Amino acid sequence: MDTHHSHLFEVGGAKLARLEDLRLIKGEGCYAADWALPNQAHAAFLRSDRAHARILSVNTAAARKAKGVLAVLTGEDAVKAGYVKPLSMLTFAGKDGKKASIPERPVLAHGRVRFVGDLVAMVIAETALQAQDATELIEVDYQDLPAVVSPRATLEPGAPQLHDNVPGNLCFEQEAGDAAAVEAAFAKAAHVTKLRLDVTRVAPNPMEPRACAVAFDTASGKFTVHSPVQGINMMRMQLAAYTGVADDKIEVVARDVGGGFGQRSIGYPEYVALMLGAKTLGRPVKWVSSRSEGFLSDSHGRANYIDGELALDKDGTFLGMRIDWIADLGAYLHPAGPVSPMRNPVTCLNGVYKTQALYGRWRVALTNTAPVSAYRGAARPEIAFAIERLVDEAAAQMKIDPAEIRRRNFIPTDAFPYKTPTGSVYDIADFHGVLDKAMKLADVTGFPQRRAESEKRGMIRGLGFSTVIENSGAGMFPKDEIRLEVHADGNITAYSVSHSQGQGHETTFAQIIGDGLGIPAERIKLRQGIGEQGLIGNHTGGSRTIVGAGTVCHIAAKKLVEVATPLAAEQLGVEPSQVAYAGGEFKSTASNKKISLGELAAKKPLVVTGEGKFGSTFPNGCHVAEIEIDPKTGVTEVTSYVTVDDCGTVINHTIVEGQMHGAVAQGWGQIFGENIVYDETGQMLTGSFMDYTMPKAGWIKDITIAEHTTFGTISPLGVKGMGESGCTASLAALTNAMMNALRPLGVPPLDMPLTAHKVWQAITAAKKGK
Amino acid sequence: MAKITLTVNGEKRSADVEDRTLLVNFLRDELKLTGTHVGCDTSQCGACTVHVDGRAVKSCTMLAAQAEGCEVVTIEGLAKNGKLHPAQAAFTECHALQCGFCTPGMIMTTAALIKQHPQPTDEQIVHGLEGNLCRCTGYLNIVKAVKHAAELQKAK
Repeated sequence: MDTHHSHLFEVGGAKLARLEDLRLIKGEGCYAADWALPNQAHAAFLRSDRAHARILSVNTAAARKAKGVLAVLTGEDAVKAGYVKPLSMLTFAGKDGKKASIPERPVLAHGRVRFVGDLVAMVIAETALQAQDATELIEVDYQDLPAVVSPRATLEPGAPQLHDNVPGNLCFEQEAGDAAAVEAAFAKAAHVTKLRLDVTRVAPNPMEPRACAVAFDTASGKFTVHSPVQGINMMRMQLAAYTGVADDKIEVVARDVGGGFGQRSIGYPEYVALMLGAKTLGRPVKWVSSRSEGFLSDSHGRANYIDGELALDKDGTFLGMRIDWIADLGAYLHPAGPVSPMRNPVTCLNGVYKTQALYGRWRVALTNTAPVSAYRGAARPEIAFAIERLVDEAAAQMKIDPAEIRRRNFIPTDAFPYKTPTGSVYDIADFHGVLDKAMKLADVTGFPQRRAESEKRGMIRGLGFSTVIENSGAGMFPKDEIRLEVHADGNITAYSVSHSQGQGHETTFAQIIGDGLGIPAERIKLRQGIGEQGLIGNHTGGSRTIVGAGTVCHIAAKKLVEVATPLAAEQLGVEPSQVAYAGGEFKSTASNKKISLGELAAKKPLVVTGEGKFGSTFPNGCHVAEIEIDPKTGVTEVTSYVTVDDCGTVINHTIVEGQMHGAVAQGWGQIFGENIVYDETGQMLTGSFMDYTMPKAGWIKDITIAEHTTFGTISPLGVKGMGESGCTASLAALTNAMMNALRPLGVPPLDMPLTAHKVWQAITAAKKGK
Repeated sequence: MAKITLTVNGEKRSADVEDRTLLVNFLRDELKLTGTHVGCDTSQCGACTVHVDGRAVKSCTMLAAQAEGCEVVTIEGLAKNGKLHPAQAAFTECHALQCGFCTPGMIMTTAALIKQHPQPTDEQIVHGLEGNLCRCTGYLNIVKAVKHAAELQKAK
């Protein structure tokens, strides 16, 4: 393994890989459920047990009388408060200039429930168990309505309709690319490959269940919301929009966040209902989700259903690609949910190739299922999967080596900056170099021999890869800010909006700032989620933190020296030009006198705020998977997995490798088992860790990780962003490896997840067919 | 209500608890030992793993009343005299934690595992971690950390 264990810190005799580790390994972290607010009451939710029904009545009389119960709120209270309209970021125009139809969503359902898990009532009691007990005393009279769970069926005429203002369950439709050019490309093609490329619905399942504690101060009218976040500003913006409460009357507080993967970036209706509860009651109200509730009501991910076609000339040159994409967003729209599948696939529609004719149609569909939002990669893995599966199938159909067909179509290394047909500018990359390195590390030339050896043992071996690119960097907030506050002891507190959910910002940011100031990283303490700092900045998402907040750490460090130099000169009694900075100290070049950052801060507060705004970066990479299938059982083992990535400059190799491990594991999970399944009535069949396949220890035995970096041009650090690339590349690499093994047996392209059962059935069916 | 007395992290604790109180809720809500986490409600995830009389136990699978007279150690009680337990040291040295939420359970499981198997094989490690879920690491560095913890324990 290509491992560089750099940046280990010595703390208390143990070598720490990360600065945040010590409290976490001692059980001293503070996650959302750990908050205990003075005099807090506890909330529990009654959720719909059916996918689609009219609410005829909600009888809360018995619940209100139950022991310890303080209040019971229902949809009527939500409507009365006006908490009915979540923020929608789907504001741009679609096909024919038409804007999206956005459904309302009272924070407690009013009139109708639309998915199993929809919120019907909230009980607040002295204890969590009392609240939970009382939910069982609420009587709801429902009139069942037909439900629709299939994203394709929901758009058909005659499908059950979810919302009066969303005719045909179609929220939004857009086109991108050049339909006529694609038509012409397909007309002259020597070969066309068509595939259905459904990317299934999965559960992000960060290990920390959702939790939220809200306090309301009657005197000031201010809410304090403790919840897991990916960034406090993103959360506050959504809570403010949902409630109509001014931004400055909501403070979001978060400390440790137990995993995110997109699931944390939503201002959920539960949080808003708790705001209503805290205000109604005049007491803090806390709710901790169970995992069972989480499966039903946390945002789901992926759920993009794609038909793709690739047109090639006789030499395997890609002439054009056409896709038809349905994004299943569930019963309501999460604020940013539909934006990812509408925007990210368009940004990288050509992938790493110079294909000129591209066209796609995207539709946002509603179904009687849990709402969907961004999940690690946020539609980047989906478009990469679509392109890379089409390319691989085309290569196989045309009997062209899959590496060779890619090389023929790569954007050449000397063509950057490269403007894509959909208007993106890829700043710099070396796709040939990335592929060559990965092929070598995976010993692709030795594969035929390994395949023959497997065959001797009665096993089926396959090798597959993907060469992918994704957009990162640019964020939705106007800029990223980092504030540095120097203390008298010379230590520095750094404040950031971008919030770690495990990515190790406390270490990486400290390294960048420490590097900029020439002081040890341990002297810098990062504080995230501090609302009173009033900073502007993006949340952590889209792999962009290192490009935005990370780069601004560097800018802020430089600014600190710039701002402090005249102050030091004054103290040293010389001109600023006579002051040299190094290692936390300013030295007079005229005398030997010196003064440290800490000494300066002791005299007068020393605080600077760095800022920056950045465009899109384009991390890219090649993953190679080799698998072996036992045809007697369909059980697959991944025998080797190689990643070569260009995420620009790497600040901390250990952390980058950890991100790759985790992201590849999530892609692996999706290909081999993870899948949220609803039956046709809208009941979830995979609502617990007993039913939903979570990757476990031992699934992945090793991953060989290497870098092939080009210096990104968007950030002065050369960084491009990482964290999601493991998902983006692994879906296609693993599927291509599986199909490489199965295709010779006559197995047609299979849909994920490729469970042992499905693989065995496919092998058996193919044998019978022969 | 049940009156219980047990030892937690070396300290004798007595309390009246509702009969249905789970050990994990007693530790978190009554004793404020919030290092023990709850990651599921079906006893799959292992985030709540503690030691009960020296054995790794998911504290959501037993009632507080069942811990009467038991010796319970939580993540907060694992380091001794300011010195990290080998499992704790190994987890940070191997970058076996990211968000840190599953980590207390993983570490408590690891501590019990290397006590039972001072030189664990890959198979024993994978089997031993079967009841602990992590969403961040892909487990590669966790498996490494278990091996490293065994080495650190041996060197002690």
